[in-house]
Amino acid sequence: MHGSSDRARLWIRVFAAPGLLATATITGLMAALLWGTVGQYVAWVTVGAPIAVVAWVWVRRRSQKAGPFLPTKRGK
Amino acid sequence: MKARTVRLWSVVHTWTSLVSTLFLLLLCLTGLPLIFHHEIDELLGYAPQPEAHASAARATPQVVADAALAADPGRVLQYVSWDKDEPGLVTAFTNSAPDAAPDGTTVRAFDAVSAKLLGPVGVGPMLIVLKLHTDMFAGQTGKLFLGAMGLLFAVAIVSGVVLYWPFTRRQRFATIRDSAARRVRWLDWHNLIGAVTVAWALVVGLTGVVNTWAELMLNQWKATELASMVAPYAGKPPPMHLASLDDVVARAKQAAPGMEVAFIAFPGTPFTSSHHFAAFMRGDTVLTARLLKPVLLDGETGEVADARALPLYLQALLISQPLHFGDYGGMPLKMIWAALDGLTIVVIGSGLYLWVARRRKRAPAKADAFARRAPVPS
Repeated sequence: MHGSSDRARLWIRVFAAPGLLATATITGLMAALLWGTVGQYVAWVTVGAPIAVVAWVWVRRRSQKAGPFLPTKRGK
Repeated sequence: MKARTVRLWSVVHTWTSLVSTLFLLLLCLTGLPLIFHHEIDELLGYAPQPEAHASAARATPQVVADAALAADPGRVLQYVSWDKDEPGLVTAFTNSAPDAAPDGTTVRAFDAVSAKLLGPVGVGPMLIVLKLHTDMFAGQTGKLFLGAMGLLFAVAIVSGVVLYWPFTRRQRFATIRDSAARRVRWLDWHNLIGAVTVAWALVVGLTGVVNTWAELMLNQWKATELASMVAPYAGKPPPMHLASLDDVVARAKQAAPGMEVAFIAFPGTPFTSSHHFAAFMRGDTVLTARLLKPVLLDGETGEVADARALPLYLQALLISQPLHFGDYGGMPLKMIWAALDGLTIVVIGSGLYLWVARRRKRAPAKADAFARRAPVPS
């Protein structure tokens, strides 16, 4: 019993974020087609979400890399 | 997932990707400027611009048709179209005969108010990019081939989703292992970008495939629906003189209330019979503007002969077009489309790099194993 619930939890952990982004993308693509101007705004946010995630990971990585080289106070 | 299953999906993912890689790169690279083809054409001076007018009284369709024929003496009109996004322009298609080959068609834009010739449409460098993107200058064969590559792309995406589980289940989402080898870092980027863009890539890939079947679908419509629409007029000769285009447009609007004419196909062209005009009507919302409704009108009298909605497969084709082009959500959506296209190039490029890097890694190992097995010369 434990094995299958752990597996389900792991499955959700792996696929939750990509699944949410995929749903958001499809919603945005259809919104712009069906809901006129409001749909366009929805599409800009939801279809653009994957780009925001990639940009966030890239920036986070850059800032972590830059971390050890930041100037530190002498003697500390 | 069993190791054997993973290996099997891995083989599917590797080979569907590898076979289609070169063509997908071509499609992504040519697709990028095509997203902005209106803007690029304007910038390079290949987009005819309407004149500024104090009065809003538009030239009648017949006046525009006469101007188009005067601009191309000795030729005939095939189509006249009104673009919803370019209300100041009317586009006319002329050719040597109504059913002449599409390559001989001349497309010109006319001012919607003065009916003055503004210039050719669909020329310049973007035409080359478009041909590369749609059929690689190989006509229908090229189109179907690229459609097949699109299907391989879809299989590669689905197999990639299956493989996402065994490759990432021990990591948090969006983990990039900086401490690891460059190949592992690129594997993480490949998995992350592939996972977050999966829905967009599938939609754009599959709608692209549907678009490659456009001609086949149109032929099917002509052989079935259009044939049954014109059946009562079988044996009627081509019109001796054509009805006024003003009458044709007015009657088509009466037959499809609340709709506007998107384009008119002249008798004998591939979109209608030899005796009829076909007016393709559109609605006024983003969606209904794409779902055209054909109205068939007698070529001599302009009387409405029939009006039917397009079959589901052609409606699917028409809806698939904006979902492939990304041109229905303003400039921000175009920019998002371009960024997602760029990310797809990264996924394809990193996939290729991972395959090469894995082969390089395996090669010395194989050589070592061979050296160990080889007999030592005495």
